[in-house]
Amino acid sequence: MSELQAGQGTALDVRADTKSTRYRDVLIALAAFVILALLPAFTGSKFLLDFVIRCAAYGLFATSLNLLVGYTGLTSFGHGMFFGLGAYGFGLMMQKAGVSVPVAFVSTLLIVLVFAAVIGAICVRLKEIYFAFVTLAFQMLIHSTILSWVSFTGGDQGLRGGIPRPPFLGIDLSNHLHLYVFSCALLVLGLLLMRQIAQSPFGYTLRMIRDNATRASFVGIDVYRAKLTIFVLAALFASVGGMIMALFVSGAYPEFAYWTISGEGIFINMLGGVTTFLGPMVGTVLLLILNDTVTRLTEYHGIVLGIVILFFAIGLRKGLMDFAWEWYVQRRDAAKERG
Amino acid sequence: MLEIRGLSKSFGGVKATDNVSLDFADGSLTAVIGPNGAGKSTFFNLITGAFRPDRGQVLLDGVDLAGRTPPEIVRHGIGRAFQVASIFPSLTVEETMLAAVGADQRRAGVLHRRFPLAETRDRAENAMELLGLANKRRRTAATLSHGDQKLLDIALALVLDPKVLLLDEPTAGMGTEERWRMIDKVRELWERQKITVVFIEHDMDIVFKIAPEIVVLCYGRILARGTPEAIRRNQDVIDAYLGTDHHAGAHA
Amino acid sequence: MDLDALTGCLVTSACLVTQTTSGLIIGMLLFLVAVGLTLIFGVLKVVNFSHGAFYMFGAYFAMTAYQATGSFALAMLAGAIGTAIIGLVFERGFMSRVYGRDVLMQLLVCYAFVLIFDDVVRMIWGPEFKSMGMPAAFQVVPLFIAGGVVPPYYLLLIGVALAAALVLGLGLARTRIGKVIRAAAHNPGMVSALGINTGLIYGGVFALGGGLAGLAGALAAPVRSLTPGMGFSVLIESFIVTVIGGMGSILGALVGALLIGLIRSFGSLGFPLFTEGLMYLFMVIVLVSRPSGLFGKEVA
Repeated sequence: MSELQAGQGTALDVRADTKSTRYRDVLIALAAFVILALLPAFTGSKFLLDFVIRCAAYGLFATSLNLLVGYTGLTSFGHGMFFGLGAYGFGLMMQKAGVSVPVAFVSTLLIVLVFAAVIGAICVRLKEIYFAFVTLAFQMLIHSTILSWVSFTGGDQGLRGGIPRPPFLGIDLSNHLHLYVFSCALLVLGLLLMRQIAQSPFGYTLRMIRDNATRASFVGIDVYRAKLTIFVLAALFASVGGMIMALFVSGAYPEFAYWTISGEGIFINMLGGVTTFLGPMVGTVLLLILNDTVTRLTEYHGIVLGIVILFFAIGLRKGLMDFAWEWYVQRRDAAKERG
Repeated sequence: MLEIRGLSKSFGGVKATDNVSLDFADGSLTAVIGPNGAGKSTFFNLITGAFRPDRGQVLLDGVDLAGRTPPEIVRHGIGRAFQVASIFPSLTVEETMLAAVGADQRRAGVLHRRFPLAETRDRAENAMELLGLANKRRRTAATLSHGDQKLLDIALALVLDPKVLLLDEPTAGMGTEERWRMIDKVRELWERQKITVVFIEHDMDIVFKIAPEIVVLCYGRILARGTPEAIRRNQDVIDAYLGTDHHAGAHA
Repeated sequence: MDLDALTGCLVTSACLVTQTTSGLIIGMLLFLVAVGLTLIFGVLKVVNFSHGAFYMFGAYFAMTAYQATGSFALAMLAGAIGTAIIGLVFERGFMSRVYGRDVLMQLLVCYAFVLIFDDVVRMIWGPEFKSMGMPAAFQVVPLFIAGGVVPPYYLLLIGVALAAALVLGLGLARTRIGKVIRAAAHNPGMVSALGINTGLIYGGVFALGGGLAGLAGALAAPVRSLTPGMGFSVLIESFIVTVIGGMGSILGALVGALLIGLIRSFGSLGFPLFTEGLMYLFMVIVLVSRPSGLFGKEVA
């Protein structure tokens, strides 16, 4: 069995009405959104709100990566390319085409869909280590294209001069508060949709493929098609993260498409753990806090980050939420035995 | 009816399956025996699409399935279990069954509903009952005993309602007593489900006791086929197989 | 796109010679890095994601040794041996703990070391671009071959890399250690059954692979600028090389590296903005038509 496996040990209760679990998720999401949206009423800290926006961008990216890594067993090391494509696609659409935000949003999703379908069609056939590196190679290809196509992308300077954010439906994204609430809404909605994917029959198809792809094909599952589907879906969610980032910094920079974004995504998954659906979200918060703190303390934050990674990968061998989940399961089982 | 016509496959010049033609009547129970390397597993792999045959046809009710992919062949009604239990380690017994039924109902790609689907429950329940796994439904497959994992593997094939069930050594790696329990189970399944069952078995006692029909493979060819009585008396079989060290039960 | 420049070059012998030699040195450097990668993969079944860092260390070690001693030969030796030691320590201390675990874990451990090694270099040598400079012995009049300019150092570089390839190939084919390594690649269980310490073999292979990458870095130091993070693009390129040539195949690494070198060299004429793109494109074509690479046995 592989180590990073999402959504296991959920001890599914078949008799429980499965509809109610969905309503429960929707309620949780609504509650989370209300709390996040009310946050500015209690704090005027721009830093905190900015932090939440960054969490939304990276959190969507990391959770979408977990759909590949944790649920399907596809170790993509180039998932960050879709984060970058989202940021650049959206930024370019707004800057060059001068369309409205919703139009740019949807057309960026379409562009990413095409890219992901083509790249996925080539990659998902490959064995794990090849898959990891060929996705990485595609990421490098996109990154180097961004760097060298200066007239279109601004090269290493990135998309500068700001992204125009004309108001739509009464939402003005150049207003910091509006941007904050908008990002929170995208985050919550994105998480809810990904949760639905994870808990759908398709989500269990992915788990079967991760566990034993050969057997899955002998149960009648078209493994290639399922892998390609989740590759594309995950890319779409990652690109939403990139779009939030582009809106946040009002631009797009080559670092958004650099391989380190993918590395961080994998690390976030490791850090938070993938047993639980929200593990990557917890990992995102942890990594951003870690990054911010370490950057303030030392210029050599690679060393610190590297040591933290080693601590988790060789020392703990699992993420924080994995620990929390195991602790909870043990307590639950102990309680069952007593009562 | 499952008809195999001139099925052939070589690996680097070695003929693993050499022009094999066989019929399996609906509702028959057939044992495939043969010394190690006789091409028994390859034969199954060719029928189920794991390998692509070089030549020949696999006709199920007249439809040629040779060279199609495993998912297509499974959907046409040929299910299989593996020599080494092939299961989904992190899923529970129940999840495994429900997900497999979902796949069989072409609902493996459903995104807008929650797992498990109500319409998959009855069949999943039946399969668990049939294989005696119902009381272990909440166990993750990885934590099951070896024998239960083999049962789960068979359940995974059976839950798809196949017309033909291919069992690659259902008793592999089991102790004597467990073997008999397993083979009784297989026989019971065959009687209750009225499906065509073909199984590979090393233990001659078992084969001669329960299989009405036996096929002997040797070096990828059919050496003999017939009732246990006929096989026992067949001189070729005795020379090639029974007469050597491969006597009853030698292959544990 | 500038196809005229490309076709113009292909019919001019001077340009042809210049571009071919520049393609060869890119290729030979890549080969030295990629062969270590492929060897480590062949024997240990892990992809050393931090392999580029060895190349970087090799270059920095060589520069420091050259500045301290003024001897080019010592600089090369420092680059190769210094990184071999790092490779050994890295394998025994860290990588050996994640064998048999998820590919993801192995990648994460390597990723951690990419971050750490880059920062270590930044700490010791500073973040700015450095240059070792061409050793005095090679500051001579360039050779003219068929009208093309070929600096003598290029010839030395190609020669040393070829010699390393030859020694490696013969060593693996003929010596006892070579046979043990090949056996370990084939069947690790058998080697330990023979009473050979697999840990020693694994560490040794990592040291060898690291040392070769270090040698490549040292050889590159006089002609490339040194910067923290310089190893990463080399890593990606040598991975492309191994994918093209076939993972685990030494001959594949050589052919793949030379192909990539020539693509980069001639591609920069015809497609100055898309040189790297050409490389990736070539890899994709190979992968789609031959998933296990040109010389790979295992089907990917």
